[in-house]
Amino acid sequence: MDRTNSVSSKEAAFLHVTNPQNNGIHLEMQGTNCRQPQNSNITGLRSPDSGENSDGKWASRLLIECATAMSEKDSTKIHHLLWMLNELASPYGDCDQKLAFYFLQALFCKATDSGQRSYKTLISVAEKSHSFDSVRKLILKFQEVSPWTTFGHVASNGAILEALEGEKKLHIIDISNTLCTQWPTLLEALATRNDETPHLKLTVVVTTSIVESVMKEVTPRMEKFARLMGVPFEFRVMNGLNFLGELTKDSLGVQEDEAIAVNCIGALKRVDVEERRAFIQMIQSLRPKVVTVVEEEADFSSSRNDFVKCFEECLRFYTIYFDMLEESFAPTSNERLMLERECSRSIVSVLACDDEVDCAGDSERRERGSQWSVKLREAFVPVGYSDDVVDDVNALLKRYRTGWSLVLPAGADDVGIYLTWKEEPVVWASVWKP
Amino acid sequence: MMSDDVFSLPSSAKAFPQQLAEPNPNPKLNANPTSKKRRNLRGTPDPDAEVIALSPKTLMATNRFICEICNKGFQREQNLQLHRRGHNLPWKLKQRANKDQIKKKVYICPEKTCIHHDPSRALGDLTGVKKHFSRKHGEKKWKCQKCSKKYAVQSDWKAHSKTCGTREYKCYCGTLFPRKDSFITHRAFCDALAEESARSVVATNVSSRNDLNGDLMSRQQNLAHGFSGIPLLGAGFRSDYTGMAPAGNSDQQKPGLSLWLDQVNSQLNPVDPNSNLFMPNMMQMASDNNVSDSSNQFSWLERTAASANYTLFPQEGLKEEAVISKGAESLSSLYSDTKNVHSNSSASTSMSATAILQKAAQMGSTESTPTFFRNPLNKSELHQVFKQQAPTNTTAINGLDQSIQRSGTAENQQGSANLHSGFRDFLGMSGEGGAVPFFPPELAKFASMSSAMGLSHFSSNH
Repeated sequence: MDRTNSVSSKEAAFLHVTNPQNNGIHLEMQGTNCRQPQNSNITGLRSPDSGENSDGKWASRLLIECATAMSEKDSTKIHHLLWMLNELASPYGDCDQKLAFYFLQALFCKATDSGQRSYKTLISVAEKSHSFDSVRKLILKFQEVSPWTTFGHVASNGAILEALEGEKKLHIIDISNTLCTQWPTLLEALATRNDETPHLKLTVVVTTSIVESVMKEVTPRMEKFARLMGVPFEFRVMNGLNFLGELTKDSLGVQEDEAIAVNCIGALKRVDVEERRAFIQMIQSLRPKVVTVVEEEADFSSSRNDFVKCFEECLRFYTIYFDMLEESFAPTSNERLMLERECSRSIVSVLACDDEVDCAGDSERRERGSQWSVKLREAFVPVGYSDDVVDDVNALLKRYRTGWSLVLPAGADDVGIYLTWKEEPVVWASVWKP
Repeated sequence: MMSDDVFSLPSSAKAFPQQLAEPNPNPKLNANPTSKKRRNLRGTPDPDAEVIALSPKTLMATNRFICEICNKGFQREQNLQLHRRGHNLPWKLKQRANKDQIKKKVYICPEKTCIHHDPSRALGDLTGVKKHFSRKHGEKKWKCQKCSKKYAVQSDWKAHSKTCGTREYKCYCGTLFPRKDSFITHRAFCDALAEESARSVVATNVSSRNDLNGDLMSRQQNLAHGFSGIPLLGAGFRSDYTGMAPAGNSDQQKPGLSLWLDQVNSQLNPVDPNSNLFMPNMMQMASDNNVSDSSNQFSWLERTAASANYTLFPQEGLKEEAVISKGAESLSSLYSDTKNVHSNSSASTSMSATAILQKAAQMGSTESTPTFFRNPLNKSELHQVFKQQAPTNTTAINGLDQSIQRSGTAENQQGSANLHSGFRDFLGMSGEGGAVPFFPPELAKFASMSSAMGLSHFSSNH
């Protein structure tokens, strides 16, 4: 790690360039050898060796400059910056180098108008390289070292159990890509909570092909585990949907006597922006007793017509994410590498794909909790988490490394709870009732 | 003998709930013959015992024992007796009243829906009934700080707090979990008891090429992760394998796997008592792999090269996967066990030519794979990229050849140095200068070339 950092500062020392044509590019980077203190909580750099700026974030500066150049259609500048980024970027280096790598990829796609093609290729690469074993290992390892996903699971399970207390026939509709890692603890709770164990029907809605193939392996395991827990269980995977927006009430097969919970983990962002309201209405038509919504806290949606703004927000979010990954995993972790690579699709989709032209898959345009709340309020009423659930989540966070905390929303109108990493809200979880 | 007293019945009689529900502030004793002292199973009381029905309020009352002289209440009978001595009673009254009529008392749970509400399932110990009532039907007022589990009975809570967090959960596969929730989730996905995975190691067939690639990657990654030199053992041996099903592991003659197994095999030779049993397995698998048809390995090579037909990306993805797993695996073994270094070098010299070639290709492929996103050591390759968006088939294979030549020499060096230099090269940080200053003439050339490739719409407004 140290080697990479020291060299990038060496490289930086070389890169004093003024463009004779443009006089516009004036990137001065002086490599110093003194260790500079890190100013912000989250910097891209582990070792403060390459301080050309006070905070040493060369990647974000270069990337944003390049994005700006693209929006201004300044082709010389674009070429220059792309070339420089290419020299410095690496998926194996420190956070700056990684961010440079993945965002460079998206910038390149944007510049060459190859976003959609690249996205499709990235998907097919991922399909080929993922197997049940690798995906299972990846997810479980991630959950072991970071509460990024388990935060939403624990909060949602708690809310679901409380809302469906006393019901005999439960039907949970799981719209997520969590590969059912949320449900074993719920099954255990159902089995031990009361003397009478209700009947649970679980319908999982998947859209991506990777998840589809993995779910084939998950099904028998879920059924087996439920048997082990002694919970009467019925399991169904709904695939064959091209887009989440296609999901209909009828296809879900809900019955009158069932108590329904709809569990949306990172699901709403996968719906096309234009179809989100309709999707929420569809959920309402299922007449659920409770709806749990968990989304990552970022806004790639409202700025989608402003490339630079969208770029900045995207960079902000993934900087936090990559920093979190770096601090959560061991330095030589393969899983971390794979998770970082998973981001490339979403970054390319947000930055280099035109929503109008079908990007061959789910949307990745996240919205903040406050934005989702506006849409959800049209169909549902927000519900707070009970003290017990909040305690459970806090107890969960205590089991991980420091840096994480649960934050209740500030405003009176604000809904849900936030998971924060180094005081930046990253995941939003909420509960809704009809 | 049955008493007329409506409040106590022989437990063998099936009583209607209504009769027993009457509140009774004072337990009444009966003039009945002494029953045998016998310990019964919980909830299966002595048929001759006297059934007492207490209201919830009475049951949970803390001071049940009342002194008949001054009406002072006590929690325990012994305390009451101690107190009574202070009253200086005459000898006769000092004795417990109705001593001859001491009868075994059993208690029913006041909760109507409870199974222990039935006299035939009454519980024998008053404290036990109190606790039962709290646990099952009471409010859980005590909460564990660590895991936020709730308890109605304080002693339960105390007992739990002592052990909370100290207990580790162990899965059948041998992995230990400090946390219950991660244990549960793991257990649901763990294949440790799955019979099909136990025996089918050698026998599983990989049906399609796609699976081959995917499984190869996953297996290499499985190997890579967290293995500190522990060999991948064969069927049935679970304890060191961190929770992942060895189903289908190392069963195919995967080229990459054979290399790793070779290394491991040479490392296994110093006797490890735990793995003695499995040496035969390992030896067999290793030797099978050694003998594995080179055509298999080459076809894998060809396939990755051929996949460059698509576009830059799949090639990058596939090779990257291979390198990452290889690199990470080697790295992890480096970090954890210096013995591996020696086994690396010794293993490499003893590898077959095809294995060396293939390993070199893996290691070197990222060094000069001419995608836009690698750091190409070769600027001309980068320019080639800009020239053509078209399939980079030939450049890919050229790059592969170059990398093989390059790392062919590097390969014979000691493993660790090789790796580090490999990574340095990859990151463009080698001494001769991956960091190239960007000169204005180059920039002009760059600009002219890239306009050819379609970036032109950026130079003129459209």
